[in-house]
Amino acid sequence: MAYLLLVISIFMLGLPFFWMLVTSLKLPTEINVYPPAWLPSEIHWNNYSDAWDAAPFGRFYLNSALVSGVATIAQIALALLMAYAFALIQFPAKTALLLLVLSTMMIPDEMKLVPNFILLTKLGWIDTYAGLIVPAIAHAFPVFVLYQQFRQLPRSLIEAAHADGAGHLRILWQIAVPMSRPVLTAAALVSLLGHWNAYLWPLIITNTGSMRTLPLGIAYLRKQAEEGSVQWNLLMAAAVFVVLPIVILYTFAQKQFVEGIMRGALKG
Amino acid sequence: MTSCRKHREWLTFLGFVTPNAVLFLTFTYWPIVYSAWLSFTDWDLLRPTHETVGLDNYLKLLGDARFWRVLGNTAIYATTVVIVAQVFSFTLGLLLNMKLRGQQIFRTVAFLPHVTMTAAAALVWVLLLHPQYGPLSAVYSAFGVRGPNWLDSASMSLGALILVGLWKETAFASLFYLAGLQGLPQECYEAATIDGASKSAQVRHLTIPLMGPTIFFLLVTGTIAATKAFDTVAIMTEGGPVYPDTSMYVYHLYTLAFREYQAGYASAFAFVFFLVTIGVLILQWRALARRVHYGE
Repeated sequence: MAYLLLVISIFMLGLPFFWMLVTSLKLPTEINVYPPAWLPSEIHWNNYSDAWDAAPFGRFYLNSALVSGVATIAQIALALLMAYAFALIQFPAKTALLLLVLSTMMIPDEMKLVPNFILLTKLGWIDTYAGLIVPAIAHAFPVFVLYQQFRQLPRSLIEAAHADGAGHLRILWQIAVPMSRPVLTAAALVSLLGHWNAYLWPLIITNTGSMRTLPLGIAYLRKQAEEGSVQWNLLMAAAVFVVLPIVILYTFAQKQFVEGIMRGALKG
Repeated sequence: MTSCRKHREWLTFLGFVTPNAVLFLTFTYWPIVYSAWLSFTDWDLLRPTHETVGLDNYLKLLGDARFWRVLGNTAIYATTVVIVAQVFSFTLGLLLNMKLRGQQIFRTVAFLPHVTMTAAAALVWVLLLHPQYGPLSAVYSAFGVRGPNWLDSASMSLGALILVGLWKETAFASLFYLAGLQGLPQECYEAATIDGASKSAQVRHLTIPLMGPTIFFLLVTGTIAATKAFDTVAIMTEGGPVYPDTSMYVYHLYTLAFREYQAGYASAFAFVFFLVTIGVLILQWRALARRVHYGE
């Protein structure tokens, strides 16, 4: 009974992926058959290369990889420094400052759209990598989870390292970071997922094809499909190759992701 | 000597904090101040001068039918998605926590919707719900009827957006419920079984209270995520069939600012969004935080 319920739930959650794969392998002539077949009559790999050519996906891929890679690394690096400072370095009125940073989690990013667009226009950053990356770096969430984690590190260890003459930067790099792997991995995955999937900000800040990222490429194909110039088998092939890298990554790191977030956000 | 060391500590602190702080000041705090000011002006993003109009934008908003419509749509969407997803994902979490064959595969599939790019997922759902190309049409045709065209009807296309939101949120929450369930103290359950408590009584009186922090965390993060729905609206309905049938708050904010160039009015819109979000979170906090018990 429980098993049946589980299988039905998983079927519902997995159906979109199944349909995406099946459609991406169908022959163009099979798409218009009503009712649609549940399996392709033959595997038609050409859809993938055709979809790749239907829009400049090579460029979109490069842009997405570059933007999310750099933004994630920068976000985590700066969050590490900030979280470490709040957790383990003396400073007056530290708690108030920390609250000021954490309170930004309550501010919807959408509130910042218009002002940041204007600011970036003034900086001449519209339609540039800097415009895509720099405003997306500072985020309170990784600061919060890493701060929670660093607070739980054994004090004696930090003090012993201090006594040995190690500076904060070295303690961060050689003690705090290696001891915080699960939380760090989780924070990096959340960050990467957010940047890879981001749609609204790139939509506003880019205006030429050469700066577009993958979500915008998907939206572009959707428009083409509405006009009837691109078929659903190609759209689904594009959806598959856009989704694949993150899906593979998470299949391996899923456990660490959940445990890291639980540890950072719920405990302590 | 000690004072010298103290000052060195302070300097190190500043050195560590400054890079992020500069970015927060530039791209988070300053925009809020600027946005607050813009909301009292009438500006089209292009003109060199801003005209100050006092509270006009806020008054206009109260009489704007589109504002109430998108606010209502967002409220319906967020409430349904957050609450129904908790029920689904809690049940699914319990199921995924059982010792069953193939559990590892089930857990992987259950999480996929959350990590899938929303723009791509929305595209797949357009196809799934399509009256001719979707798999449901195979079922309909077996009965000799034509399926409904979800995205061409105002009420059904809001339903379609809710469906996709639910699909994603259930995936996210179920893994957290699973992780929470795995961390529960087994002794309590053994004691309860000895005392003769039934399985359902155990869920009600033990599991749910013990899972309090997880439920609370997921309610808050779920609400924040749901009120921001944008990608699905943009890809699936563009706020139609007739705008703003299925438009939601953030999508309308985008439309006002970047399609209709009403930067001042859009800023008032954004500020109200901020206030409403904070209000909802405070309500959740006051209603639930006292009932949640954190262990240890």
